[in-house]
Amino acid sequence: MRSIDMHAHISPEGYIRAVEAGEEWYGISGMSHEFHLAVPRTMWTPEQRLTDMDSLGVDVHVLSTNAVFYCYDRDANTVAAMDRECNDYVSQLTRDHPDRFAGLAALPMQDVAASATELERAMTQLGLKGAMIDDSVNGKTYDDPEFFPVWEVAEQTGAVVLIHQGMQTVVGERSTRYHLPNTIGNLVERAITYASFVFGGVMDKYPDLRICLSHGGGYTCFGAGRMDRGWQVRSEARVNLNKPPSTYLNQFWYDCLTHSEPALRMLIDSVGIDKVVFGTDWPFDMQIDWPVSWVLGLESLTQDEKEAILYKNLENLLGI
Amino acid sequence: MRSIDIHAHIAPLAASHLPEGQTWHGFTRQEMNGRQFLVQGDKRQWLHPAYSLNADERIAYMDSVDVDVQVLTTWVGMYNYDLPGDVGAGIARECNDYVAELTRSHPERFSGMATLPMQDVNAAVAELERAVNELGLKGAQIADHVNNKTLDHEDFLPFWSAAEELGALIFFHQEGDDTIVKPRDTKGWAIDNSIGNLSDRVVTFATLVFGGVLDRFPDLKVCLAHGGGFTCFGAGRLDRGWQVRSEARELGANIPSTYLDKVYYDCLTHSEPVLRYMIDTAGIDRIFLGSDYPYDMGIDEPTAWVNSLESLTQDEKDAILWKNLERVLGV
Repeated sequence: MRSIDMHAHISPEGYIRAVEAGEEWYGISGMSHEFHLAVPRTMWTPEQRLTDMDSLGVDVHVLSTNAVFYCYDRDANTVAAMDRECNDYVSQLTRDHPDRFAGLAALPMQDVAASATELERAMTQLGLKGAMIDDSVNGKTYDDPEFFPVWEVAEQTGAVVLIHQGMQTVVGERSTRYHLPNTIGNLVERAITYASFVFGGVMDKYPDLRICLSHGGGYTCFGAGRMDRGWQVRSEARVNLNKPPSTYLNQFWYDCLTHSEPALRMLIDSVGIDKVVFGTDWPFDMQIDWPVSWVLGLESLTQDEKEAILYKNLENLLGI
Repeated sequence: MRSIDIHAHIAPLAASHLPEGQTWHGFTRQEMNGRQFLVQGDKRQWLHPAYSLNADERIAYMDSVDVDVQVLTTWVGMYNYDLPGDVGAGIARECNDYVAELTRSHPERFSGMATLPMQDVNAAVAELERAVNELGLKGAQIADHVNNKTLDHEDFLPFWSAAEELGALIFFHQEGDDTIVKPRDTKGWAIDNSIGNLSDRVVTFATLVFGGVLDRFPDLKVCLAHGGGFTCFGAGRLDRGWQVRSEARELGANIPSTYLDKVYYDCLTHSEPVLRYMIDTAGIDRIFLGSDYPYDMGIDEPTAWVNSLESLTQDEKDAILWKNLERVLGV
């Protein structure tokens, strides 16, 4: 049986080398160095990664460049150049190890036209499978028509857009303690992003868009009932939407990173087993430690469901 | 069979019937776009039309939806934690006297909770003591934060101590749409409410757990409105954070999910699978009927809704509809 991990991050080799040499890399080294030092596996070589994947029983990493490289608040041209290098690197790894790696692009979302261009390049020239982007871009959520050119390219090229928060979440304004900006914040952000795509009318405009919400889609499936009630009683919730928001749950994909069997079971029952994919958050501490074993050990899932999650759904979605 | 609703709001008639041109604790009443507001400085608090109903009219409504008892909470527009403490204390006393009077005049139909001037912790403690000991109220409703301080802040320790000693139930409910989910503009699709309320409630659960409040005051009775928001569903990731991050354990909290059955929740989920999930994770004895009367985001016919749920046994329905609140509040 295979296992394909949709949620596995990487840092570009060029960055690692620059840091080791004490050199700047697109002007971001100072900012992100602490991030990398805190998690040594972010600086591992591809060979070290493959060894770790072997020990975990993970066959394929769908590589996404670490969120610390989003840099949407920085100079767009610099970040576009940085993203091209990130994407070239990921693409090279997928060619070097086609049985072990697939890849997602990084995009300079502060420049929508450049992002559309880079996504097209990633899909048509680099052989990548889509892109990973933040939940918002400098305060703008994805219902903003400004972003429509990206969805257009994504839909045309069949790119999968993986949604993953950057360095901050909305919880930070209430409490920065106890790791809550991550443990609660990631999950709130994902529900807001679901709402942005659905209430904002993006899913109706781009019905073939393939969005994957990381961290199990956060609180999305659990909160759908109240979103439906909001749609029912509040006219502002119906501006772009003529059916209840929960009817879109099965148009998205979700990774299985819930740290809870009942939560994963509820996700499957809400969105459908064909929409849940394997995702571990390698190499971070909030990952699933022994992810293949975890899925295989879940008593409330059938063998067919486990296989759908571990590889079949991603084989279909990504064509790998 | 009875039905007792923990999540039902009210405002004193002195506020909702405030004559034009007169002031009430610094508020005047103004009409804007056909809606009535209490206005003070920049503050604008919407008075729901139902707050103009007298007790008999409210009871007629309750009869129409098979609710026997409302545990009245003064509407969150009266929190006013940003006003000076003495102003807040004056508002709270008048609101609490009003609720207490209804519970005395209609003891079989109304029970009551206090509102408190949380910006002045000493005054809040004094008013909670008065509300429970003198007015016969069952506890208090407070917001998820007080001027951006969460309730694990050391300033609130005397409050928790008093609440535990008094056996008061503390009901958490955000003020209006003041949540961590901000709409980008007026077309925010109501997610500041639909996602925001639920997000604020899990932050409150987490801060009470990680902040050591539930350990320090083990007999504390806390109820999280809106089904506790995302608390039950999100407990797995809280557990993981506790496992791998020392800052989550620095105040000695145990595994977060082990506290799910230490707090109470209302059933306001708008989803049968979600309510079922809560029962299965927190326990059937922790869940109360809660409708959010009189708001549009409430359950239209709460008793009928609970009774219609096919995945609940009759015993589970009875526990939610009345038995749990009978036991916990003694009503």
